[in-house]
Amino acid sequence: MHELTGRRHAFDIMLRGRVDSVLGAIQDAEDPNDNVMIDQTELVLPQEDIYEVMMASGKFVGGSPGLTPDLLNALSSHRAYGYFNFKVRGKHYRALEQPGMRVIDREENGGFRRPVRIIYAVPTYYLWHETVEAVRFYVIASVLLLLLTGFLIAWFLRRSMSPLRELALRAERVSEACWEFDAPIEVLKTRELEPIATSIQKLLNGLRTSFERQRQFTGDAAHELKTSIAVLKSSVQLLSMRERTTQEYQSSIEGLLMDTERMEDLTTRMLMLARAEQAPSSASHVMDLSRTLRVVVERLQPIMQLRQVRINLPEQDSGPVRIEPESADLLCSNLLMNAVQHSTPGSAITVCLEERGDSTELLISDEGKGIPQEALPHIFERFYRADPSRSRTNGGAGLGLAICKAIVDRCGGSIAISSAPGLGTKVKVVLLVATASSKL
Amino acid sequence: MRVLIVDDEVRLAENIAAALRDNSGFAVDCAANGTDGLALLESGNYDLLLLDLMLPGVDGLSIVRTMRARRDATPVLVLTARDERDQVIGLLNAGADDYLTKPFDLGELLARSKALIRRGKGVSHPVVTIGRLRLNSEEQTVHGDDLLVDLSPTEYRILEYLMFRPRAIVSKKELLEHLYDYRWEHHSNVIEAHVSNLRKKLRTTGVLAAVDTIRGRGYRLTAPGEVC
Repeated sequence: MHELTGRRHAFDIMLRGRVDSVLGAIQDAEDPNDNVMIDQTELVLPQEDIYEVMMASGKFVGGSPGLTPDLLNALSSHRAYGYFNFKVRGKHYRALEQPGMRVIDREENGGFRRPVRIIYAVPTYYLWHETVEAVRFYVIASVLLLLLTGFLIAWFLRRSMSPLRELALRAERVSEACWEFDAPIEVLKTRELEPIATSIQKLLNGLRTSFERQRQFTGDAAHELKTSIAVLKSSVQLLSMRERTTQEYQSSIEGLLMDTERMEDLTTRMLMLARAEQAPSSASHVMDLSRTLRVVVERLQPIMQLRQVRINLPEQDSGPVRIEPESADLLCSNLLMNAVQHSTPGSAITVCLEERGDSTELLISDEGKGIPQEALPHIFERFYRADPSRSRTNGGAGLGLAICKAIVDRCGGSIAISSAPGLGTKVKVVLLVATASSKL
Repeated sequence: MRVLIVDDEVRLAENIAAALRDNSGFAVDCAANGTDGLALLESGNYDLLLLDLMLPGVDGLSIVRTMRARRDATPVLVLTARDERDQVIGLLNAGADDYLTKPFDLGELLARSKALIRRGKGVSHPVVTIGRLRLNSEEQTVHGDDLLVDLSPTEYRILEYLMFRPRAIVSKKELLEHLYDYRWEHHSNVIEAHVSNLRKKLRTTGVLAAVDTIRGRGYRLTAPGEVC
């Protein structure tokens, strides 16, 4: 609209200029009446324009070449100076009527003043056309600019988002079957994304470790259980293969009972281990280890007598340590039972308790045949049996030390085993001393 | 036939051994770890090896590799409590012949064992014939034409071994090694006595096949009319 107003203003000025041009072309007609005429030869105006020049009296002086009667009529019908609009044969015009003064024969007696009226009209579709053109230009230019800007922004966004997209893609690829996640370099270079990538990596590594441990455990457990079942099943199938004597049946049933007990023991121990490996215990439990040791030794008396092994307990009591009562019992009985089983008959097992600052050290030494050097690194692994010849028949499930380690880990302590083949084995357990607050 | 079981699960090995002895009259030796197993394999002549995968000492896969490297063609049936496909493929590629996952059916184990032994001797069917003599290793019976030949377990085992190796000369030592496990005293005159009884029984049913003695080398099973 503003554009149109501006253009109309310019249009009007142009009209006035054309009127002046026409005025300039009015000349002395060189006739006796000193009339004026329009010198068309000097006048260069657009063909579409029309004009009419009249004397002030209304006498027609001249007009544009394309002046038709109806146009002339339209021009002449207006009788006031100034701008006006009209329409002839569907064509819109804007016209200006203006008075003019022509002085002729200036040399002779000062000349004659010849007042004229000039009416000049220009078709307005130019105006519209140009306005539309201009508006179209602006519109197209702005649309193009907008598109360009949009494209640039999109490109820039894509470019700057590509590390994020890559990160999402990599993260998407991670599944329980495939734990591979390595953040792309651009991601690590991006200041905002680097912490996300590192934390995803850390989280995945943690998950993967625990997942793999769980899978390993399930696999091992399945293996042990399947083997136990295989023993049971084959025993039963063997028994039913043909007729047996009552005595054969009896001894087979005894064997079956033994197998079942072994399986029961295996499941109990697997559950113990699973429980011990669960989330860390609350620090509120405290236990006096010397008392636990005495209880456990009392319980082990029968097997100690059977294997002719003595256990020397420390004379002095130690302070309480941070451990759950059941766990303390399980830990001590597992370790002492191991020691008793591996001791040579007639030997003694020495148990020491020593307080060292904020930790208590439990040391159990036996005089057995020791553990082979190559077995030591695997001793805490689940289902690991150091001595193949003892194997499954009397060696348990190979879970005892794994359970001990899980218990000690959960209490924030540590466990280590050293052994000299032929001389004996030393187990060292370090547990945290209960603090004053946890004693309450 | 003589079978070696290598399994650290002693109770299971004992059960399988008892079933193989009872059901098929095989001689069975057991080893509780891989090292002993390899040593036994080297010294004895076995017709089948039953092998556990997870073994203390040398593991099952290494045993298969070692024995195949030694050009020991004894059929191997693997017993495993893990049924991971990759492991099974690896084992079969290493030279094992078959596998069974624990817990298995004892009957299936026996059937597979017998099939593997047969295959190992180039026999595909449990019924073997030589001339008009027919031996059914599944029922452990021998027929001459349609008449049952009544044999003692040892006589049957000798005949079975000879029939699985027709026309080959089998030494007394070989017979001893394949028919008895380590629990028996090895006396070659035991074999002689059994072979003599077997010969007599075959003769009473009409001469359908003969166990020839080849002096200083061993025995050979032949059917009359055959060109040796």
